[in-house]
Amino acid sequence: MAKKILLVDDDRFILQLICRALGAKGFSCRTAKSVHEALGLLYDEIPDIVLSDYSMPEIDGFEFRKVLLRDKRYKNIPFVFYTSFADEDTMQKGLEMQAVDYIDKNTPVHLVVSKLNNILDTIRKQHEKSLFEIGAAAEALNLRSVPLAAPTIEGFKLQFLYQTYNHYPGGDFIDFIKTDENTVFVILGDVMGKKWGAWFFSFNFLSYIRSAIRLCVFDGISSPASILNKINRIVCLDPVLGDVLSTLSLMMIDQSASKVYYAGAGDLPVIHFSKADGNIACVQSAGLLLGIMENGLYQEDVLEMHTGDQLIAITDGMIDFMTETGKTSDYTLFVRKLERILGQSDTYKEIKDQMFSATEDESVVDDRSIVIIEKI
Amino acid sequence: MIEITGFSNYHIATIMIAEANMEQADVFKHELITEMDSGKKQILISFENVQYIDSSFLGALVASLKYALTIGGDLAVYGLNENILNLFEMIRMDKVFKVFKTVPASYEDGWIAG
Repeated sequence: MAKKILLVDDDRFILQLICRALGAKGFSCRTAKSVHEALGLLYDEIPDIVLSDYSMPEIDGFEFRKVLLRDKRYKNIPFVFYTSFADEDTMQKGLEMQAVDYIDKNTPVHLVVSKLNNILDTIRKQHEKSLFEIGAAAEALNLRSVPLAAPTIEGFKLQFLYQTYNHYPGGDFIDFIKTDENTVFVILGDVMGKKWGAWFFSFNFLSYIRSAIRLCVFDGISSPASILNKINRIVCLDPVLGDVLSTLSLMMIDQSASKVYYAGAGDLPVIHFSKADGNIACVQSAGLLLGIMENGLYQEDVLEMHTGDQLIAITDGMIDFMTETGKTSDYTLFVRKLERILGQSDTYKEIKDQMFSATEDESVVDDRSIVIIEKI
Repeated sequence: MIEITGFSNYHIATIMIAEANMEQADVFKHELITEMDSGKKQILISFENVQYIDSSFLGALVASLKYALTIGGDLAVYGLNENILNLFEMIRMDKVFKVFKTVPASYEDGWIAG
């Protein structure tokens, strides 16, 4: 994806010159002749970096920087000063305002481009390093929102795919709980919210869900709708989860009866492929997102599974994608893509190759999860 | 983020962005709650300008509704494009929010009953 830069300078010639050079190097460049104009552009779209002149009429670059620092939407955008008077005091003042660097206007244009590239590259590397360290810490604490592998159950094949978005963990969570040789609960959910926040809360939700399933099974309850109801009541009462909401697809595989009991909370319809007639049915659950209200209206569907039948559960990242006109969500398109894949000898591999391949990455806008249950 | 206008006996809050996403969710919620705190308790949220909504923004929308209900207010939505309407129906947000295809004549006009 092209790196987005916002260039702010009252000199139209400089704007054109730099913009052309940046454009030739693959940057997507937006220009503003004043701070007022720049703020309008920022409101529409957050760039990867801002390059701003110091000296401008009305509001200067320093004031612009102050405005950005006061606004939490903008304060973390890397900011570089671009100026013709690079005396030490001015430089110092700029750097004290958390500008990542300054560039002298006498610098040849190709070097300006290289310097911006270097800055973005350094930021990206630091960011990846931080993500890696947090990931390593989570691993050490055995915090996982996605398991290492699916369990085995006779007569069924359980598989899943999960992909972070831009290396950020998100709100998606997956788990499998095998309560006896005959029964596996499949959990797929998505906590709504911000990257790190959603990731953090996914552990809270998973803990509740795991406990509720175990406790219910101890008490002889195995109905996913009843379990969902209990989970939802706990979530609604937990002040820590206050405004945090989550989807959940909860499926109980009954191996001996060759059935899957399914209940959902604000989740996307589960796709049921029937091998015998090649039919695909989208099974929409009835329940509300976890945490909205105490009566979540949960209901259960019983899905008969014959040899070769498949069930596909997904999170919204699978149906969200980037188009030329912006982001969009299209469940129908996703199902249409699946039609060509379901029922093949290795559906998992086909989904992995076709939907989780590198070429798909450009259009991906969220973390993505898919669980595949197949009767064998 | 939102522009609010009085209409009949309620208010319409028009979302002014095309992509209602994670970056915008907190600001949206803050602005909406500020309006409700200033006494505008029944608000119809217009999605006419919105092309895409992500789950974070949906979360902010529901959180705002929960707040509205605690202060005796109410929120409904209007002007959803086809994809967003499908998404609302698919994840049962249409059971949480009253979804209007046209602007109701008054708060009592199909809103409360919804």
